[in-house]
Amino acid sequence: MSGRLAFVNPEIALFAGTCVVMVLGLSRTFRTRKASAWVAGAAIVVAGFLAWFSTPSLSEAVCPITGHLFSEPVTASQGQMLLPEMVPFAKTMIAAVGLMLLLAMAGTVDRADEERIAAGRATFDPLRSNRAEFYAFFLFSLTGLMLTASADDLIWLFLALELTSLPTYIMVAISTSRNRSREAAVKYFFLGALGAAVFLYGFTLIYGGTGSTNLNEIASSFREHGISTLAMAGVLMSLLGLAFKIAAVPMHYYTPDVYEGAAPQVSGFLAFVPKAAGFIAILLLTAAVGWEYAGGAVGVNSLMASDAPEALRQVAGGKQLPEVLRLTLWVMAALTMTVGNVLAVLQTSVKRILAYSSIAHSGYMLVGVIAGPVGDTFTRNGVAAVLFYLLAYGVTSAGTFAVLAALERSRDRSGEPGEVEHLHDIRGLCASHPALGWAFVICNLSLLGLPPLLGFFGKLPLFTAGIAAGEIPLVVILGVNSAIGAYYYLRLAFTPFLEKPEDDAEPVAAAPFRSRAVAAVASAAVVLALSAFGGRAMVMSLNAAKYRPSPLPLEVKHDVNGEPAAHDVAGVERAPDDFHE
Amino acid sequence: MLSQEHITGHAATAIDEGGMLTMLVPALTILAVVLCGLFAAMRVKNKAPAFVTVALLAASFVAVLMTYLNLGVEKTWIAHGFDWINFSWSGSENRKLTTHALIANFSFYLDGLTILWMLFVTGLGTLIALYASEYMSHDVGAGYCRFFAAFSLFVFSMACLVMADNFLLLYLGWEGVGLCSYLLIGYFYKKPSAVAAAKKAFIVNRIGDLFLALGIMLIYTHFGSLEYTTVFAQTETYIEALKEGNLEVIPATVQLIPLLLMGGAFGKSAQLPLYVWLPDAMEGPTPVSALIHAATMVTAGVFLVARTYPLFLLSEHALPAVAWIGALTAFFSATIGMAQFDIKRIMAYSTVSQLGYMFCGLGVLTSVGGAFHVFTHAFFKAMLFLACGAVMHGFAGQLDLRKLSGVGFMRGWKVTTVAMLVGCLNLAGFPIITSGYWSKDMILGEAFANPHTQAIGWILLLTAGLTAYYTFRVFFRVFVGPVQYEMGDEHHGAHEDAHGHGEATHAPAHATHATPHAPGWAINTVLAVLAISAFAIIPFTYSHGGWVHTMIEGSTARYEGAAAYLGHGEHAHGTFLGFEAHGALMVVSGIVGAIGIVIAWWLHYAGRTTAATSRADALLPKLGPIPRWAQHKWYVDEFYDFLIVRPLWVLSNIFHFIDQYIVDGIVDLFGAAPSLTGKAVRPSQSGELHSYAAWMAGGMAVLILIVILVAT
Repeated sequence: MSGRLAFVNPEIALFAGTCVVMVLGLSRTFRTRKASAWVAGAAIVVAGFLAWFSTPSLSEAVCPITGHLFSEPVTASQGQMLLPEMVPFAKTMIAAVGLMLLLAMAGTVDRADEERIAAGRATFDPLRSNRAEFYAFFLFSLTGLMLTASADDLIWLFLALELTSLPTYIMVAISTSRNRSREAAVKYFFLGALGAAVFLYGFTLIYGGTGSTNLNEIASSFREHGISTLAMAGVLMSLLGLAFKIAAVPMHYYTPDVYEGAAPQVSGFLAFVPKAAGFIAILLLTAAVGWEYAGGAVGVNSLMASDAPEALRQVAGGKQLPEVLRLTLWVMAALTMTVGNVLAVLQTSVKRILAYSSIAHSGYMLVGVIAGPVGDTFTRNGVAAVLFYLLAYGVTSAGTFAVLAALERSRDRSGEPGEVEHLHDIRGLCASHPALGWAFVICNLSLLGLPPLLGFFGKLPLFTAGIAAGEIPLVVILGVNSAIGAYYYLRLAFTPFLEKPEDDAEPVAAAPFRSRAVAAVASAAVVLALSAFGGRAMVMSLNAAKYRPSPLPLEVKHDVNGEPAAHDVAGVERAPDDFHE
Repeated sequence: MLSQEHITGHAATAIDEGGMLTMLVPALTILAVVLCGLFAAMRVKNKAPAFVTVALLAASFVAVLMTYLNLGVEKTWIAHGFDWINFSWSGSENRKLTTHALIANFSFYLDGLTILWMLFVTGLGTLIALYASEYMSHDVGAGYCRFFAAFSLFVFSMACLVMADNFLLLYLGWEGVGLCSYLLIGYFYKKPSAVAAAKKAFIVNRIGDLFLALGIMLIYTHFGSLEYTTVFAQTETYIEALKEGNLEVIPATVQLIPLLLMGGAFGKSAQLPLYVWLPDAMEGPTPVSALIHAATMVTAGVFLVARTYPLFLLSEHALPAVAWIGALTAFFSATIGMAQFDIKRIMAYSTVSQLGYMFCGLGVLTSVGGAFHVFTHAFFKAMLFLACGAVMHGFAGQLDLRKLSGVGFMRGWKVTTVAMLVGCLNLAGFPIITSGYWSKDMILGEAFANPHTQAIGWILLLTAGLTAYYTFRVFFRVFVGPVQYEMGDEHHGAHEDAHGHGEATHAPAHATHATPHAPGWAINTVLAVLAISAFAIIPFTYSHGGWVHTMIEGSTARYEGAAAYLGHGEHAHGTFLGFEAHGALMVVSGIVGAIGIVIAWWLHYAGRTTAATSRADALLPKLGPIPRWAQHKWYVDEFYDFLIVRPLWVLSNIFHFIDQYIVDGIVDLFGAAPSLTGKAVRPSQSGELHSYAAWMAGGMAVLILIVILVAT
């Protein structure tokens, strides 16, 4: 069990941070309250370091902070995972993007109250303060996300997904004092519950079909006995439910309303965290099914013409998902990117454009899921492409939303500063706020996928992996959609520096929280840095996509106490040979 | 003079890891760029950017010098900075599994050639930055920062170009220097002629760069690597075959590579037919002309040929082509230089002409001679430009040699005049006491020593005479003779308040510059240092290139005795009119140079009483239209305009019409599709919770239905 705990060290660090933050945020003195954000940041940094240094190496690795030797217990549990190397990559990425999002969160809640307290017109009332909850929920959500990455069991997966999502509902609700936020939160909550119900139903069907909740055992069962109709229906339902997390068609309806209702920094959070959770969960499920089935056809059109029963036969030994799943994901991907892009074209609100575009990005990434980890290079491996795209999208969208968060218009009647929302609000931004303006331009050009920038290097492997997997029609749809995406992304990128604000336009001011601007500029800098020197990250994502198609039979038997019995026999130092590869 | 045993049969040089000190050069120069940027952001209004740049460039020079002193050039050193691009993938060709890799690290390849180039790039860079600190003083403020930032960025890019250990980094540096050149030519961006010149330089260079890029791609496709070590290891085998006379074993692809690289070299080094940008590039500030467009960047083409010399040896036509183009350029631009009146342009044409000499040196198989001439030329040409710049600075932009006379006899111009004289003597190749004489002689001698290149030798010899004439035409007209001058019309306009003369309010702008002002300490120091070093390098280099020879013989530019097709075997010794070529040329080239000087003296100095007229004026009408044509640069610009620019303009208008009305129409039609679709789908986004839930449930149902219908 201690091995297992070492495995979730980053989550433990985050949770410890959460507890501290919850207490600190209720302090009477402003300085202590303010420290809660710093503690949250420290917790994320520690979690990131733990994730990176404790889990990656399959051989002996000593955690620099605790001095704990991670070699053996960790490998034992990693050895059972289908995507064993994904965990450290995903968690480190989560910590990195999370840190950037945290920077943008400064001053989201309690702003008016704190101002009154600072002016001496009010005293601190713990019951009215939201700060503690806000940062605690932020960390909870990240904890859930990291737990999703470590999941090897359906129950764990469900709990982790819900731990990711539940705090976000509240974060949306308290992110501004407007009714719009509350309305958004209610919609998000109810629809989220609907989505959760669907994939939970799917999970139960999988359990019904295989008799196990352990992903590894499920995978073995699929391999040995084939996929029963019941289990297939379960996987299908799970994917449809998880589509809510990634905002894929047909579960995407909430996205624009929720993004618009929440404060921009929280929208940035929603653009990354639930999406990452959804994709990690989808990857885990599809990895359990495996990309080893022969499809009789290339592309959906030829599939329709082909002999239908043959498509169901699902011969093992090929290089794709079972035809039913492939088709579901195919349709979902094509619809998601198309719907996201065409609706984004019509919008004039920056937040709504970004919301629809985030739907489209999910559609792009689904192409990587369909292609699967079959290729052995970065440009042919769909899973590596998805992981790298998550990183690229997370960093870039955090920057875009941080720019919006770092700006504000004059206060409305309720005393809440107006949000920068409409396209005409960002006109001439490069002249009035050069750092923010150029960060916005860079991030949007990267999201568009303009060649020298990070977004291009993210999108390219999706194309090539799709082609390598033979999904030519889908790749064509992806290309057409990228072109449509260019329409609104270029508008977003060029409005700040080509257009001049109208004379009577209300001026846009910088929000009094410098860390938001820091987040924006930092993420633009990371985009540029990864554009130039992203090779290492690509190699890491390729490594993270290492897929173990036929996982080891469960050598480590669990005794009644839940302790892996093999350790007692083999001794702590000796790891099974297979883990040294 | 340069006999075969000096240059043949050199075994491949050993390669070792080391020389990390050179990593300081890019680090320090990029630091200078950043600091200049910070100064600009802080609105610094003093000379801090200049002195930071000078200090950091001097430190870079010391780093290179230390590397040279510590490591020597017996071995080739690879300094590995960091992994930059490293992809590998496998594929199947003809059912065989093959592995490919694309490796281009940020690593440096340090052989004699690299060190030689880096020594004068960083050394001259330091001196010229010091000079510029005074020269650009009228622009203190944002412009000053911009100037020095671009200046440092140039040295950075040049360092990448020269020290790269692979073709990709070289290409990066190549484009980097092109960019900096563009930025600095267009430094006075409010002046339309400067902007036009910058664009011209950039676009003409693009043509060359296209060839370079194609050459590099071909290198990669053929040799499977971009790293010098791998590529040159493979050329060794070809060269062995060549030594045995098996020319036919070399694939046509490989023979094409040097021709493509040559195109790139001719663009950057301003050779026919791509030389047109360099004279116009004189629109930039003079220190830029001195460093970039005389001493360093324009020799990048020569460097490229020297660096890839093993590849050039593999083609039957590459080196002869290099030699011929070089010779024709040398002669052609010398004739234009003779008829110009703008002294900076004369120097520009002489640069083009001297670059032609360098290519000839490489082309007639004396890579040592080529490199030697690059080295000496860097000193004396930088000095000439800086002296011209001092005149331009002092006389408010006056550059017309008909409006300046007797500058040397004015107060405070002694150093400039002496420097100019030294530079002119070097450029004219005055015998024995000038380094320019020794380096030029080496190329001339080698051209005549090879019976196949005698014609080139004659062209070069004639050019040497023309060079001496037009060089001393400038000296006799501007620096000696009766004191007479007319100020230029450049009165540092809006920058008057920031002018380096002092903080006190000036009289109206015209009054300030009614009198010339002599150069200050920075300009004089730099000129003096350069003048001394132009002499100081003679003892180290005069015999067979001496020190330069030791630098080149261990480098990639060594001559392997492979190019037997050039008739340069042991038995074929060409002569100069029956005399041993090298010995005879030492005398003859000296005489030719002296004749040129004497003619210039007689036409432009003897008996001249005014600045504007000279004895040559009487002579001109007798030559018919030729002087006028030469003055109009043989109408090459007009010819290019007619042949290339106009047709392209017409074509682009046609395409514009097609694009505007036909293609755009179709695109608009398609462009409407997404928004129409969007409008159709939009009603489902009603904002109502229950309808969303219904749509979601319905959507799931439809999706499952589709799957069931299609898959079963």
